[in-house]
Amino acid sequence: MNQVWTVILMKARIAGHQIASVRHQSKLKVGVLTFAALALWFAALFLFDTGFGWLIYFGGQGGGEFVFGKALLRQSLNIFALSIFVLLVFSNTLVAFSTLYRSKEVVYLLQGPISYTDFFYARFIESVSFSSWSLAYLGSPMMVAYAWNTQANAVFYVAIVFFFLPFVVIPACLGSAITMLLVRFFPRMNTLTIAVMGAVAVLSFFAYIRTVIREARFSESTTMPAILQAMDRTQSPFLPSHWAAQGLRMAGDGNYTEALFWFGMLLSTALFVVFLAGRLADLIFYSGWSYLMGQDKQRIKPMDKGALAWLDRVLSPVREPYRALFHKDIKLFWRDPTQWSQFAIFFGIMAIYIANIRNTTRLYENEFWRGWIACLNVGAVTLIVATLTSRFVFPLISLEGRRIWILGLAPLTFRQLIWQKFWLSVSLTSAFTVGLALLSGYMLALQPLHYGLTVYSVLVANMGLSGMAVGFGALYPTFTEDNPARIVSGMGGTLNLLSSVAFVIFLVALQVLVLQWKVLGLFHTEQQFQWALAAAVVTITALGVLCTWLPMRLGLRNLNQMEL
Amino acid sequence: MIQTTQLTKHFGEKIAVSPLDLNIESGTFFCFLGPNGAGKTTTIKMMTGLLRPSSGTVCVGGIDVQKDPVGAKQLMGYVPDHPFLYDKLTGREFMRFVAGLYQVPEDYYQTHCEELLEMFEIAHVGDQLVEDYSHGMRQKLSFASCFLHDPKVVIVDEPWVGLDPKNIRFVKDFLKEKTRTEGLTVFMSTHTLSIAEEVADKIGIINHGKLLQLGSVEEIKALHERPGSLEDIFLTLTRTDEEVPAQ
Repeated sequence: MNQVWTVILMKARIAGHQIASVRHQSKLKVGVLTFAALALWFAALFLFDTGFGWLIYFGGQGGGEFVFGKALLRQSLNIFALSIFVLLVFSNTLVAFSTLYRSKEVVYLLQGPISYTDFFYARFIESVSFSSWSLAYLGSPMMVAYAWNTQANAVFYVAIVFFFLPFVVIPACLGSAITMLLVRFFPRMNTLTIAVMGAVAVLSFFAYIRTVIREARFSESTTMPAILQAMDRTQSPFLPSHWAAQGLRMAGDGNYTEALFWFGMLLSTALFVVFLAGRLADLIFYSGWSYLMGQDKQRIKPMDKGALAWLDRVLSPVREPYRALFHKDIKLFWRDPTQWSQFAIFFGIMAIYIANIRNTTRLYENEFWRGWIACLNVGAVTLIVATLTSRFVFPLISLEGRRIWILGLAPLTFRQLIWQKFWLSVSLTSAFTVGLALLSGYMLALQPLHYGLTVYSVLVANMGLSGMAVGFGALYPTFTEDNPARIVSGMGGTLNLLSSVAFVIFLVALQVLVLQWKVLGLFHTEQQFQWALAAAVVTITALGVLCTWLPMRLGLRNLNQMEL
Repeated sequence: MIQTTQLTKHFGEKIAVSPLDLNIESGTFFCFLGPNGAGKTTTIKMMTGLLRPSSGTVCVGGIDVQKDPVGAKQLMGYVPDHPFLYDKLTGREFMRFVAGLYQVPEDYYQTHCEELLEMFEIAHVGDQLVEDYSHGMRQKLSFASCFLHDPKVVIVDEPWVGLDPKNIRFVKDFLKEKTRTEGLTVFMSTHTLSIAEEVADKIGIINHGKLLQLGSVEEIKALHERPGSLEDIFLTLTRTDEEVPAQ
């Protein structure tokens, strides 16, 4: 039997055993998770359906038969496909580093008589499934809502399934290829070359984002054509995301010949890039891997030198044992660029967008839209935090792994440990998000009350999201796993992500409700508004406290009862 | 069966293994000794193809590990000190997986799998998930899977970790028997000098990446005029400058 198949069958068996092990889990836990997952899927379906309905309404009628709203919705599919494509390339670049180089399984497989191409394919399948399962889960309600709103026919639903696989395979190959090239050539470059190349790449990326935002200069009278034009500018017929979006649209419209053409484009390209990535693995994987193994042996980090030499001074007011724990966590975080690079990119894009709000649209001059934009900014920022805490804070306790006994035997309580993780998360995320909230409020020239509520809700969101990530991380630890991507894809990680998203949605909805009612004049008296505002603040605070306290308490109880 | 020619490994400016020339004949039980950080594991990694040498070559059964890694690895079995096993597979499923990875013919696998599981006394837990195994059982499964494809060379890195005295005796006798009757070549890295003294046909002592001694236990003892234990010679050879008593 082919070795790739052997590995796939083995993985299928492992998956089978894992699914079977659900029988031994608490029925309540499984029930809650299943319910939460289904609830989130239907909630997402509802939100997308409502949102798309609003887009069609917002777009309105154009001239003659042309319906701006429908055109807007169709363009949004292009934008969605492009965004997902870019995100998949990015996430596959990160995931491939774990699956191709860092996993313990890699050493085991490579000591066997397996060619580097077969090894790559065997690991690649795992890489693809890790990086794309969430797309299948959260993308499906969006596609269903899209189909409803465009009155797509039944073939559209079948087409989604067929287009999905080649669509996720192409960015996975690109991501893996980028990782292999980086591992092969990056460590051999001198620091100056790396710094210059890094700076050029980052500046070019942000310059591109800025250009796209700035060029979308809307005025009230030409909003729709401007939006459509701006959306069109992000498309290119050379991009697989374009082929996928076009193919799906054609399938939905009943134009099957053209749909088949785009599917053919996608499939043939996917097969070709899979072949190329396998060849690349054969050519450069081993030299990169071997060099990386050698690199581990020569990394010298003197305590008083390097980028974190200042850490001791900054942390000096913090008392022990917190200082030691902060020290360890920050250094581990810093020495894993896959972690902080995501922070930098997400918040960098948000910062550019917010700083350019005034150049982008005149809608901010209208109080109604200004309120909406401010609330949506809060939503965007806190959703990014939710993703990042789910990805990076949730696995913190699990990553102590088999070393948990060091902490377990130290004169340190688990209470201290989880609060330290909580404050670490809050301080890191707040440094970015509160700054963005302040910038957003300033750029939109919000009134002091609105400004205050925005910043306050971001702060509360940071606390609640950190509390949930740390709490659920302690409640569902996976001490046997070293790969954070696998830790977060388990039951606990899923529950944490779902709860975090629900928390953010509730927080933003509450804010929108009170502030927009005020703008729309739905409060009869100023006193009514003040009461509603007070109720919103109290609810936001109570929810924040609950989301911090409850998971932390449950997690702490679990750690205390655990046998190390 | 194992031949290294001017095998060298540098990590930056640090020399992990200085030019190493070894020629280990078929059917030899070779013990590789050295203190922590001496270069034993680096040498093993180069032999198993996990690390590319800075210069020099490793040939296993006449096949260059760098030029034809798949062919060379087909002849090899490797048992690390802390074996990697798939926790969510049962012992038998793991053996099946290894058979697939090494392309073992189905009929050969059918007859040998149970035999090996019986031999290493883990047949009774063969249908249990590996995550429920003790460290000793995991080590035994690692040994059993290593012999599934009938390797000609077995490389073993400190195999005694987690094994009880009965199993240490069993593994020792099993490997020794295989070298005598089937011509298996064993390359074992260990710190347990008494065992090395007992089983080794040939010994190599390495320190700071340099091979200090090579020969049979008797030859090395005769060279140092020490009829006593191998331990004394080892400690003398590997002590640091600070440990040398002042004259």
